[in-house]
Amino acid sequence: MNDSVPPADARDVEFARDALPYMDDVYRFAYSLTRNAADADDLVQETYLRAFRSWHTFQPGSDARRWLFTICRNAFLRSREKLRHEVDVEDSDMETLAAVMNQGEMRKDGSDQLLSRVDLAPALTKALDELAEPFRSTVILVDVEDQSYDAASEVLGVPVGTVRSRLFRGRRQLQEKLRAYARDAGFASAGNPAQEPNDV
Amino acid sequence: MSDDMPMLDCRSAMQQLWDYVDGELTAERMQAVERHLDACANCHPHAEFAERFLAALHQTREDRSCPQDVRAKVMASLRDAGMKVT
Ligand SMILES: [Zn+2]
Repeated sequence: MNDSVPPADARDVEFARDALPYMDDVYRFAYSLTRNAADADDLVQETYLRAFRSWHTFQPGSDARRWLFTICRNAFLRSREKLRHEVDVEDSDMETLAAVMNQGEMRKDGSDQLLSRVDLAPALTKALDELAEPFRSTVILVDVEDQSYDAASEVLGVPVGTVRSRLFRGRRQLQEKLRAYARDAGFASAGNPAQEPNDV
Repeated sequence: MSDDMPMLDCRSAMQQLWDYVDGELTAERMQAVERHLDACANCHPHAEFAERFLAALHQTREDRSCPQDVRAKVMASLRDAGMKVT
């Protein structure tokens, strides 16, 4: 047993200092899992309750966000009572190439200009919300919440190779959604047939 | 910088592009990809685009934060659970 258990008040202070500041981050991750505000609300509450009750298991100095994300995902799975066996294709090298080709097409048809637009964030947020699982939660963790592949692998309970594969496919799908958005918004030259990029 | 290392070809550079922009490669590989990108007019714009895309994605953080009423509910349930701070 730990012989230097801090008094309850110190524990509360530590929890408030180390865990509470990440409520926005936990909310975004929770939302990526539930995809609706009501369930995200419940999940954030559940995550913080569990985190508070098991704060003694948190290792001081380790990454509190990663710890909270892991609790959040476990709470989500528990609430759904479904541990799905997701089969991922792990050909992430091919995914990278496909994404790069897609980028080449975006540059050719001009939809890459969209990336410099200030009002892009709402379109991207919408595209993210539309992204299917398990790609959505992976992209949120790595690209929005700055978690490493390793951290995301721990939070999601899948191998690093699966994180990469999901991440790359998710990014590619997002880029495709952006292209469609750019065409609708009149940024890109519509009807430009997607050519086989010759520069890869 | 080891100049005796052969230059990466475009395909390998592009296969490692996402890992590179994510900073997930070993130090030598990061350097090898960087050298290729600096020197290759074909691949350089891809890397630039990938970085802009990821920066835009990261920006979406600001579009969604924990609503005040949820924050209040979390704090209330923590107090119910015995938390004594604020
Ligand atoms: Zn090249």
